[in-house]
Amino acid sequence: MTLRLAIQGVGAVGAFGSGTQALRQALCAGEVPVGTLQVPTAGGALELPAYRADTEPLEEFVPTRALRRIDHFSRLALLGGYLALQDAGRLEADRSRLGVVIATGYGAMQTTFAFLDSFLDGGDVCSSPTHFSNSVHNAAAANLSILLGATGPSLTVSQFELSVPTALLTARQWLAEGRVDAVLLGGVDELGAVLGYCWQRFFGVPDGLLRPLEIGRQSAIPGEGAAFFLLTREGEGGRHGLIEEVRQGNLGGRPLSFAAGSRLLLGADGHRDCSTLYGGSLPVDARAVSFSPLYGSLPVGPAFDLAVAALAAGDNRLFTPPPQGANGLPCALLGAGPFGEGALNCLKLGRHGDYGLISVVRG
Amino acid sequence: MSSVVPVAVTGMGCLCAAGADLPSCLETLFRGERHPQPPTRFGSGHPVRYPVFEVAARLPGDDRFSRTARLALAAAREALAAAALSPAELAGKRVGVCFGTTVGSAMNNEEFYRQFRDGEHPEMDAIERFLGSNPASVVAREYGLAGPCQTVVNACSSGTDAVGIAAAWIRSGICDIVLAGGADELCRVTYNGFISLMITDDTPVKPFDRRRKGLNLGEGAAVLVLESEEVRHQRSRPARAFVAGYGSACDAHHLTAPHPEGTGLKRALAEALTQSGTSPAEIAFVNAHGTGTPDNDRVESRVLAAVLPGVPFLSTKGYTGHTLGAAGAIEAAFTVACLERGEVPANAGFAEADPELPVTPVREATAVSGRLALSQSLAFGGNNAVVVFERGEP
Repeated sequence: MTLRLAIQGVGAVGAFGSGTQALRQALCAGEVPVGTLQVPTAGGALELPAYRADTEPLEEFVPTRALRRIDHFSRLALLGGYLALQDAGRLEADRSRLGVVIATGYGAMQTTFAFLDSFLDGGDVCSSPTHFSNSVHNAAAANLSILLGATGPSLTVSQFELSVPTALLTARQWLAEGRVDAVLLGGVDELGAVLGYCWQRFFGVPDGLLRPLEIGRQSAIPGEGAAFFLLTREGEGGRHGLIEEVRQGNLGGRPLSFAAGSRLLLGADGHRDCSTLYGGSLPVDARAVSFSPLYGSLPVGPAFDLAVAALAAGDNRLFTPPPQGANGLPCALLGAGPFGEGALNCLKLGRHGDYGLISVVRG
Repeated sequence: MSSVVPVAVTGMGCLCAAGADLPSCLETLFRGERHPQPPTRFGSGHPVRYPVFEVAARLPGDDRFSRTARLALAAAREALAAAALSPAELAGKRVGVCFGTTVGSAMNNEEFYRQFRDGEHPEMDAIERFLGSNPASVVAREYGLAGPCQTVVNACSSGTDAVGIAAAWIRSGICDIVLAGGADELCRVTYNGFISLMITDDTPVKPFDRRRKGLNLGEGAAVLVLESEEVRHQRSRPARAFVAGYGSACDAHHLTAPHPEGTGLKRALAEALTQSGTSPAEIAFVNAHGTGTPDNDRVESRVLAAVLPGVPFLSTKGYTGHTLGAAGAIEAAFTVACLERGEVPANAGFAEADPELPVTPVREATAVSGRLALSQSLAFGGNNAVVVFERGEP
């Protein structure tokens, strides 16, 4: 498959704020404020450091009344989607041949638990139809399609940390086949008390400083948000560069190989097991960096990595790395400078050796 | 969009309430048997005991995996055996997995959450099982597959979309082989959910019938082995069928109800027919979504009457229940099997024509002629997906 995808618009919402300007500011500052997530535990309430996202700016695009029954997860998706269209200057464009693809690790968890609450509280006969219909994984894609009037194909995929690379495979196929003229693709995940509980059980309480390149150290901080892209075929140019290649596979059967001097934007997000994988997989002559200290650890982190790569390609500059911790990788840190020629490769390594690779070049 | 190269189906596996494998499912369908009953694997506080279609078969794997993942493993095992693909033959090939599900990707363990709400400090076994049970990943790990891996969560069209997407992976050259399918288990959460929406029938489901009241839930899985022509010829394997075309479109209308004019379904049908280079007159039969809900069957029958007039159609959900994310894959397997047999079973549950519906399904097992057939799915979120199959080599 050789079709390259043009990135026409980027829309991101996270702890850094919303929109490309907010993300650029965070990239320049090298830090964002880390908030908290309240987690009830047997020993009392716990405040977990967490990167929280605010969807209030959505009211710029959608009347408050229309958002009455729309949950936080869908609001993240809507805000990301509208921001990407706005960034592309296509808020008013015809959407009859627009496809929608959403990648998510966990879906609308909060609404799923709200649905469980409805029958745990009131008995099975009190199950809430509203919560049930909004808890279905593709509800966010549906809300986006309905509010935008997007009547092309709609797809939601859930492959944990590889959700974004695999979603891109399908978006590219739709464009290659001429099924659509553009695809609005995004990654979305949300935080909630249950996730916070699971986090502290699995990983303990983070100290509040994410150090992605410190191999063997658990420093991940949970995050939430959405990062969206308006993608077209290459012929239309790309304000934010081109996606040259998308690969998904498993290191066991399809080992990764990189050209000499490759530039890597790692999905390393402070998880001990994950960082160890990077440490053992990268060539010594590569240069690597992670921007997860700006958005935290979430299954759709690769969407944020891609947003950073897209801004870098569009602006023709590699951003100054945020604090990475002591570099335990076998290769050097990728520092600031011009984007220049060649690709910036967004690499995510997941459990069981699964990987996703998204290569971005300048348009 | 233009016509595309068909992609071979070289093996299939299926299990659901109708049977533990594809041949036994077909026997059940053509005997006209069905045995929905109130759920036995979970309790319910509803005063009415809504029937479901449960899988009785013993499943592979153990309780490290969700029931959905184990259903997926069972179907994959049968499909690979039918395609004569051993682990040794899979090694070294670019093999992908594309699976549809709904429950299989939902973190909704009721007991864990009840304990959490009650401040009981629940253990993490249920969460570890959820994290280790992504259907596509489980199948990929079981067979050591290293290609793309995608779990489609497009509600009730997931299985159909998975087959269409998998075929595109073969055509585009990123895979030599793809295991495409769907899997879903019955659980209290979806049982309560569909009852709350008041689209569940308290008697056996009656697709397209005047007296229809809604769906019965079911569970199951199906897998189709899709193979590139290069690999298939190397292995000298016959094609049981070809995926000739796929279309999908969104109504952009309502979260749970289809567009009254079926606009998305019409577009998906048009795309699938265009991609397969087929005219409506060439379609031998349609395996319709046919959930038995008043809205779905009304819209679907109107679209079939408008787009495929005179083409025989049926819903097989009268034998399987609505298996949600697995439905499209199970019905794809049935569609191919019926093309091979040259006949379709009766639309179980249909007895009385609805004057609101312009067309009626087949009432009894019916011979069909022609090389092409359609399987279509409509889903929450307004998703519509259609796959066109062409009969394979004798």
